[in-house]
Amino acid sequence: MLRVTLVVISMCLLAPAYGDEFTAEEAERWMEQFEQVAADGRRLWTSPEIGTNGVACAQCHPNAANTHPETYPKFQKQLGRVVQLWEMFNWCLRNPLEGEEMAADDPRMIAMQAYAYKERRGVKLEPGKH
Amino acid sequence: MIKALLAIAALVLTGAAAAQAPLGLPDVPVPVDNPQTPEKIALGSRLFNDLRFSSTRAVSCATCHIAALAFTDSPLHVSKGINDLTGTRNAPTVVNAAFNKTQFWDGRSPDLEDQALHPFLNPVEMGLENHDPILETIRNDSEYVKAFGTVFDAGPDEISMNEVTKAIAAFERTQVSGDSPFDRWYFGGEQDAMTEDAVRGFAVFLGNGRCVSCHAMEQDFALFTDHQFHNVGVGINDIQDKVPELARAFQVAKNEGMDVDVAVLTDADTSHLGRFAVDDQLSSMGAFKTSTLRNIAVTAPYMHDGSIRTLREVVEHYNNGGVSKADGAVNPFLSGGIRPLNLTEQEMDDLVAFMEALTSPQFEQSLAGSVASAKVSGEE
Amino acid sequence: MSNKYIAGRRDFLKATTSGLIAGMLPVSLVRLAGAAEGEPDFTFAYISDSHIQQIKGAKFVRNWDQGLIRAVAEANLLEPKPDFVVFGGDLAQLGSKAELDHGAEILAGLNYKTHAVLGEHDFYLDMGEYWSKLYGDHYYSWDHKGVHFVVLNSILTYDDWVNKWETDERRMNEMAGLDNPNGSPFMVGDKQMKWLKKDLSKVSKDTPIIVFSHSPLQKIYKGWNFWTEEADDIQALLKPFDKVNVIYGHVHQIQYNQIDNIAFTSVMSTAWPWPYPESYAQAESHLPILTVPMNRADPFNERDATGWQFMNMNSGRVDLEFNLYNNTNRTVGFNHDKGHPEDTSFSDPDARTPAQSHF
Repeated sequence: MLRVTLVVISMCLLAPAYGDEFTAEEAERWMEQFEQVAADGRRLWTSPEIGTNGVACAQCHPNAANTHPETYPKFQKQLGRVVQLWEMFNWCLRNPLEGEEMAADDPRMIAMQAYAYKERRGVKLEPGKH
Repeated sequence: MIKALLAIAALVLTGAAAAQAPLGLPDVPVPVDNPQTPEKIALGSRLFNDLRFSSTRAVSCATCHIAALAFTDSPLHVSKGINDLTGTRNAPTVVNAAFNKTQFWDGRSPDLEDQALHPFLNPVEMGLENHDPILETIRNDSEYVKAFGTVFDAGPDEISMNEVTKAIAAFERTQVSGDSPFDRWYFGGEQDAMTEDAVRGFAVFLGNGRCVSCHAMEQDFALFTDHQFHNVGVGINDIQDKVPELARAFQVAKNEGMDVDVAVLTDADTSHLGRFAVDDQLSSMGAFKTSTLRNIAVTAPYMHDGSIRTLREVVEHYNNGGVSKADGAVNPFLSGGIRPLNLTEQEMDDLVAFMEALTSPQFEQSLAGSVASAKVSGEE
Repeated sequence: MSNKYIAGRRDFLKATTSGLIAGMLPVSLVRLAGAAEGEPDFTFAYISDSHIQQIKGAKFVRNWDQGLIRAVAEANLLEPKPDFVVFGGDLAQLGSKAELDHGAEILAGLNYKTHAVLGEHDFYLDMGEYWSKLYGDHYYSWDHKGVHFVVLNSILTYDDWVNKWETDERRMNEMAGLDNPNGSPFMVGDKQMKWLKKDLSKVSKDTPIIVFSHSPLQKIYKGWNFWTEEADDIQALLKPFDKVNVIYGHVHQIQYNQIDNIAFTSVMSTAWPWPYPESYAQAESHLPILTVPMNRADPFNERDATGWQFMNMNSGRVDLEFNLYNNTNRTVGFNHDKGHPEDTSFSDPDARTPAQSHF
């Protein structure tokens, strides 16, 4: 009986009855997962290994400053059209860092974007602002 | 009332038709004080082709800017003026020059109207002492007198170089061309308009070639120039040791009243100083205006001194990081946009194919001619 | 002579004594009429923050090499010739002998006497030992044409921090990250404070003083070490003098300020620019409010927002031209009417370009 009760209680804790009913704990846990990814992003941001010449993103963008993630998508003259943030990151990877581009869904690209956005939190969106 | 409305409608329609830009181009910028009219354009064309406005009465604008050759004198490296005297610079095309923010390789003219004044007076171009002979010829030509009267409401004695250059500029503003295979493919959505190698070449243009930042394009049009001045290592590489002395001597002479237009076209070394000769800035040393790439395949040879013969060699120059020979010495004033590119042979060929896709239909014939002659002379 | 500055500059010139810009014209053609007689009047060049960075062996980051090479080539063209050149610190990126040698070799191409200032990137691998072999003392002073010059080593820090790292390389790497939360604030230290006090005691109050320092001798933003711990004390030592100018590197951006009698001006890097601290949304910073910002950099052009400086010493104050390779040059002249440095073209908010507010 106790075992059944325990199972029922634990099922209630783990599996809410409806899809939109996530718990405070879950929200916190998912935020932590984001923070982990952002921390990975910080490591990549300061790493001399992601390009081929030892230059790190943080050398020109301390604390991801001057990346302006809140303005994308926008016209980026180095690419000749309206682009998203990850495309500009790839531009930097290829040019100042003389390295390889990453796919948009590459975990490293996601991590770096997570870091850049985190450092820019609270700034209002201004898509298209040059 | 209805007549007035119809007149306005006609004006608007004509205006709209005149302003309708070819695919891939923005509207032609027209100065407020020099609107386009058919009569002015026709007058400008006549002036442009008039051989009498030179000291030998044998050289006109069209001598170096030949319509059938995309308004250049390809394949000449540098242009020839009166008595076959050679200058130091390659004649830029007039086609799409209307979009340039400055004129001449070193941007010493702010607009088409001003630009037209200078070749008349250059000793190796038209060789006139001043503009008076031009105005005299015009005043003694009844057709000109009539045309200037109609277009500018100017009597014979009121005709000045102001009107002359406005007419010439108006004609030049009609020389615009877009609608190339690239335009139809990129802006027009025609999947088959460009060849496969040109499509790959475009990817290089935007990517590893790093071309787009100076040969700029935008979301809905492409002029392929940023209108800025860059030292890409042409000309100046050969005079690196001479630069301090040359620049110093030039500055002193300039301060004593020497004409920059004359100096840069009559001395090859001085010509290589580029924009520095115009704005005196140390950071402009050896810098030249980014040219458009439209119709580039038919306007060989390349660079301010015509020193690079083929597009492939141009690409190699950039691939080497601003030197024509891979082991050459890069000049210290090199633009920050130039660096070794490490392109593969295939990427370089594709880039050339892309540039060939920038030729507008009306110049396709020239393309066939120039490519063919390049093959015949063994340059490819 | 073509004057690239806007028409407003002529009015400005009445208030400043700036007249000389970095160019190639004989002195007789450019000396501004009305320069005060008997006052020191000479020029010097300032090249800083080259950050020569080794990739491997004889391979260095080409971008940073090019920036320094170009500064040397342009400075060598100057006419009239400057009296000397100052190198403002951070010659190397990680302070290795290879980097310092490579940088020193490029700098040696200058046709003028060079005085050098230490930067943290030169120092923390071997605590400045190899630097001394190349450039001598870490801090020193000299007099020239009636002006007293002081060079400080203002990138020292607390002994605890210096001593806690297992290897020299680790220590250098930790200090090399501008935004490293494990960093430590810059200072000159007690020994230098004592030396400075003694050095200044021999200088008369009306002698113009110029201090060259890597860190700003102000407290601008601690997170990126735009900071000197003893800023207030150093400023107090300088307070008794009529005309003091502080020139500092490290920040890789245009900054200038006036605190009482002291005019502060930063210099640019030849290698790369840094964004203004206020562009970091998560922290408060104190960019001197006088500063008209430089344009936001275009990363495509490696020389964008980089350059060197040309300084005109006139009437005991420094007028400074930022020679930016790929941007409109900026001139910060000392406005004698207002008593502080001022951008000669863009002080009026209406004269500014959008690029100056989009950083």
